[in-house]
Amino acid sequence: MSKKDLEAKVLEEMLRFSSNMARAPDLVRAPDEINLEITPHSTPYTIDKVRLLHYEGDKKPRHKTPIVIAYALINRYHILDIHPAKSWVRNLIEQGYDVYMVDWGTPTNMDRYLDFDDYVNVYLDSCIERVCDEASVNKVSLQGYCTGGTISTVYTALHPQKVRNYIATAPVIDGWKDTTVISNLSKHVEVDKLVDTVGNMPPEFMYYCFSVLKPFEQGIEKYVNFFKNIDNEKFVDNFLRVEKWLSDTPPIPGELFREWIKNIYQKNLLIQNKMAVSGEKVDLRRIKMPVFTQVAVGDHLVSPECSMPLHYAVASTKKTLRLYPTGHVGMIASRMSQKMVLPEMGSWLSKKSD
Amino acid sequence: MMPDTDSAKDYYKHLSLFWTDLLYLMSSKPQALSSTGPMRAMAANAKKVATEVIEMNEKMGDFNVYLKEYYKQLADTWAEAQKKVNLKAPELPQDPEHFEAYKRIWIDIFDNDFTELFDSKAFGSNYGKMVSQELELAKHWNNIVGVALKSANLPNRQELDEVYKEIHVLRRRVAALESASRRRTKNEQKRS
Repeated sequence: MSKKDLEAKVLEEMLRFSSNMARAPDLVRAPDEINLEITPHSTPYTIDKVRLLHYEGDKKPRHKTPIVIAYALINRYHILDIHPAKSWVRNLIEQGYDVYMVDWGTPTNMDRYLDFDDYVNVYLDSCIERVCDEASVNKVSLQGYCTGGTISTVYTALHPQKVRNYIATAPVIDGWKDTTVISNLSKHVEVDKLVDTVGNMPPEFMYYCFSVLKPFEQGIEKYVNFFKNIDNEKFVDNFLRVEKWLSDTPPIPGELFREWIKNIYQKNLLIQNKMAVSGEKVDLRRIKMPVFTQVAVGDHLVSPECSMPLHYAVASTKKTLRLYPTGHVGMIASRMSQKMVLPEMGSWLSKKSD
Repeated sequence: MMPDTDSAKDYYKHLSLFWTDLLYLMSSKPQALSSTGPMRAMAANAKKVATEVIEMNEKMGDFNVYLKEYYKQLADTWAEAQKKVNLKAPELPQDPEHFEAYKRIWIDIFDNDFTELFDSKAFGSNYGKMVSQELELAKHWNNIVGVALKSANLPNRQELDEVYKEIHVLRRRVAALESASRRRTKNEQKRS
């Protein structure tokens, strides 16, 4: 091909791209106009800014033991119900489960003194008690995702009598083994000074952490692809939903963040059974109920080496570790999660739920 | 001969503190006349603000050292990654079909090199120190704002933190009481 042909082709590409950019506002909704609430739900319980959501299915649940999902502290719970075809929640409902979700809310300056004790022994515990009352059961199946996996792990170790089955999805467990950029930055941050000076961990710090993860793929190529595919309705809808979810991360309460960085990333106390919450030692060997650990091989937010030690640390005799060839978000909101991760989890759980 | 930077800084700090102190002493009598309005603590406040600004300037120097290193690390990584792309690029045929392949190589090499940088101890350590110095600046800024809030009879950060802490303790007590009450009701229901 001659240089002239090459230039013509490049020019044509550029013109098409500019035209797509100009047409974009007429073709797609603004992220603010997109509603991320997909599956209908009620709010049977609230405590401070925390809400317990109960998802409604078309049929009565087949399994009596409800599932309580403790979402992460980063971004909001919507990713687990981001799109009808990729909804984690909807899939579990269709498999016959009664699904509850803990929405941690958006902490303000007033919440800066909230710590692990509040999240584990007050918020999560009172939500689980409420679910037990509603469903007339003594125990629930608990699922924790990402940092919600850490909170759930601590909860399960401290209150094993209330958890029938435990599912840990990409949990943050062994901070020293975490090989991600976030872990590297966390190990070097002077967390006392940060919390004492700014109070809550500002969302901007999280946005910075996101921006250094595959900066060129995520910062440039992703948006180029968006404009290139502007006529592809499905692609655009999915893209904007995920983008909207990504751009909404609440602050993390200062004291909780201080404990998190020190106990998980810097001193790595949790996996050594040395972490204490409200004076009580968190001993992972107290986790004896069935445990299912889900790990994404391509996870660049919580590396597999950080999550997998949970499987070996618990005393459960009925434990399963599954590794999936996907990423942190792909494990919970993708075609693969619908076709592989959720069916496996549902089938594992069905044998252990009433 | 030029004085060294540290002694020059100390000299100007001394000079500034000398005059703010002296002005404060000289104005203390007439100031007593306006002991209730916003002018009431002006001299004392001016001194606090001046001290904070001087210290902030000192910290700014430290912050700039780490900020410079931060951008140097980024620039060096960029240059290194671009060199790798330049070495790889001639292997591809120069036609539009391979333009996408070139872009892919560029993104992969840049993402790999920058991820390597962000994962490195050198980056993490410098970033931590840079944020630490930035927080020092924020502390001084908070102190300046605190002085302004106090002179306007508004609660400052420290006072608000005390309120937040009190609210937190009260919330915990309420949660514990609610939990105890729930348990009692359940037990009563079981018994009946």
